[in-house]
Amino acid sequence: MAVETPPTVSEAAPATGPLKVGRGTQLKGAGSLGWLFSAPAFIGLLVFVAIPIVLTAWVSLRDWSGLVSPFNTEYIGFENYNELLFEDGVRRTDFALSIRNNFYYVLFVVPMQTTIAFVLAVILNNKFLRGKGFFRTSYYFPSITSSIAVTLIFLFLFQTQGAVNAILPGDAINWFNNANGLFHNALGVIGIDQPPAFMVENDFMGVTFWQWIAGPSVAMFAIILLVTWTTIGTFMLIFLAGLQSIPESVDEAAKVDGASTFQTFWHITIPLMRPTIFFVVTIGLIATWQVFDQIYAASFGGPQKTTLTPAFLTYFQSFRNSEAALGAAIAMMLLVVIVVFTFVQRRFISSSGER
Amino acid sequence: MRHRTFLVLVLLMALIAAACGDDGGTDTTTAEGAATTEGEAGAAPDLEGVELSLWGWSSSDAENQALTDLVTQFSEETGAVASFQPQAEYDVALQAALTSGDPPDVFYVDSFRLPDLADAGALAPVPDGAVSNPDDIFPSLREAFTFNDTWYCPPKDFSTLGLVYDPEVLEAAGVAVPTTWEELAAAAEALTTGDAAAIAAGTAQAGLSMGVEYPRWGAFMFQNGAAMTNEDNTAMTLDTPEAREALEFVAGLYQDGFAVKPAAVDAGWAGEAFGQGKAAMVIEGNWLPPAMDADFPDANYAVAELPAGPAGPGNFAFTVCYGVAADAANPDASWALVEHLTNEEGSLAWTEAFTVMPARESAAAAWTESHPDLEAFVAGADYAHRWGFVPGFGDVLGVFNPGLEGVVDGNMTLDQVIADTTAAGEGVLEG
Repeated sequence: MAVETPPTVSEAAPATGPLKVGRGTQLKGAGSLGWLFSAPAFIGLLVFVAIPIVLTAWVSLRDWSGLVSPFNTEYIGFENYNELLFEDGVRRTDFALSIRNNFYYVLFVVPMQTTIAFVLAVILNNKFLRGKGFFRTSYYFPSITSSIAVTLIFLFLFQTQGAVNAILPGDAINWFNNANGLFHNALGVIGIDQPPAFMVENDFMGVTFWQWIAGPSVAMFAIILLVTWTTIGTFMLIFLAGLQSIPESVDEAAKVDGASTFQTFWHITIPLMRPTIFFVVTIGLIATWQVFDQIYAASFGGPQKTTLTPAFLTYFQSFRNSEAALGAAIAMMLLVVIVVFTFVQRRFISSSGER
Repeated sequence: MRHRTFLVLVLLMALIAAACGDDGGTDTTTAEGAATTEGEAGAAPDLEGVELSLWGWSSSDAENQALTDLVTQFSEETGAVASFQPQAEYDVALQAALTSGDPPDVFYVDSFRLPDLADAGALAPVPDGAVSNPDDIFPSLREAFTFNDTWYCPPKDFSTLGLVYDPEVLEAAGVAVPTTWEELAAAAEALTTGDAAAIAAGTAQAGLSMGVEYPRWGAFMFQNGAAMTNEDNTAMTLDTPEAREALEFVAGLYQDGFAVKPAAVDAGWAGEAFGQGKAAMVIEGNWLPPAMDADFPDANYAVAELPAGPAGPGNFAFTVCYGVAADAANPDASWALVEHLTNEEGSLAWTEAFTVMPARESAAAAWTESHPDLEAFVAGADYAHRWGFVPGFGDVLGVFNPGLEGVVDGNMTLDQVIADTTAAGEGVLEG
């Protein structure tokens, strides 16, 4: 495919016009060569990113089961979105639950993975530390292991007879089979085990307020720990690269001025690392809103739908329930959620403190 | 405006399709050519050189091999080039193939999925005379593959549920094999030797282990004269005293600690709990014996019919059929392959070596003879109900099953589950 297409692109290039810098043939050729060299990446983006997004948006407006060609289907406008957002029913409840579950997941995973990765990177950046290579490799190792394999190991670690229960005090539970919300459990500890009446009587999108504030279930929390453990390695490497790009002279200048280690860290390192932190948080947010494989392998949305996420729900509706157009609509809503969250955190990170 | 966007999309797709190679296209033309040269009624169609693909999921190497042998036999007899191609992630693979308009010639269809596929127009109905002696097929199984009065595909085989127990444990405890609900409850109580934590640790045994889901609990509803929906799937019938009583009975077994869900004792499914000696009895189907042989060869088991409820016996028939795509490239050849696999000879040849049961009454006796220890599963066929509803009903079970889990875990009430499921079901049935 890529072999056939470049000529087409280079033929088209003269029409758009190469840069007229008036230096003769050499640069003229460079213009079309530029198109030629970027063509594979450009075509790849078009075929595997742009067109799928457009097609997803398009099928989400149609009555498409996913079992026949989408081109023979009926246009139904925003019916699928309506069903997800406004119509009382299972689908709206499922969608609301998936957003709730994923929100708590993001709320825990992103701060945890970012701080732990940053701290590890700072420790590893210490020039007096011995055996850096060993630590770097061991922290990075979970990231390059198959997520399914890691998930299966965690299933064993967190089962009733697993190693985690052996270490922790209290009753042994199968973590991946426990639907109790952490916040509910915490409220139970301080004596609130019955929800106040108004929280069960009122609901938003078919989910009661009491259920909205449940927090991640114990099962979801096990997945949160799992994902945090597997991703800190990657982010640690990114932070490490960022830290190493800070010139030593800046640190030394701060020391000469009499700054303590903590002051240096807080007033020099963190501000200089802001772009890297922004990058890591953004990547983290996008990835956590799309969590799928760990859910698929560990819990399949259960127990009691507490690990249902929009990405998993997309899969389930599209391939298990023959509602591919609904699945596409969920995917589009997820896109909106991710874009909104990314913008919000962008404002947040760039406005807290002078750039 | 919409038309313009549409056109651009079609053009883009066409470009991609053209660029991505044309090996699919040549296949179709040869197949179509072959289809037009045959088709005289009655005469065996000339299948020389026709390529046929059969898609399914893979259950075990032995089953893949047996099916491949049957398909190869078909190729040898007819001259066609047919092959069995088991798919990983079957649902996704099949859906992609159907959507792209290049479906496999013949493929597995689970009875629960049939309404979805038939409703979408993805399946071809059985042509007259394509399947020999259709009255020989168990009526309940034919019905499982009938949607809107149209019969879509002949069953490959079927399974029912049975009460699988460890005869030694029952004997040691002096417990007879239960045949009624009261006996089942008493037996489960007598055989339970500890709480879930002790059972998970392997120091105690549960009386009964069973998945917390409709395909198990539903059998108890049938045994009490209840059902999820009415006969023709037009109204929900879950909110009845009979259904409530049945669900209360089963939930009570878990709440009293005499039944455990597999996950609570670190088992992936009830069969695993049984194999590990964590449960003395389980309710599972024909797929259990091969799993025991493979994973727990030392496990000692026997199969009895499900205990009967106040309204008599009740069971599920789980079945899979061979479907032919509505836009199959070569329908005659595809139906010839289906016939070869499902006629009396074929269905017995396929099931004889395995624990799934032939879908034809004429083959049942021969099968029982070679599987005397599994007779209880065959007996279950007499009072089995179909496993499947209407398109989109997966959503309703998506409310029911987690709700039942909530009841067992003690954070939901049965009333809530019945109300929620009924509401969800009414939404789907009213369409």
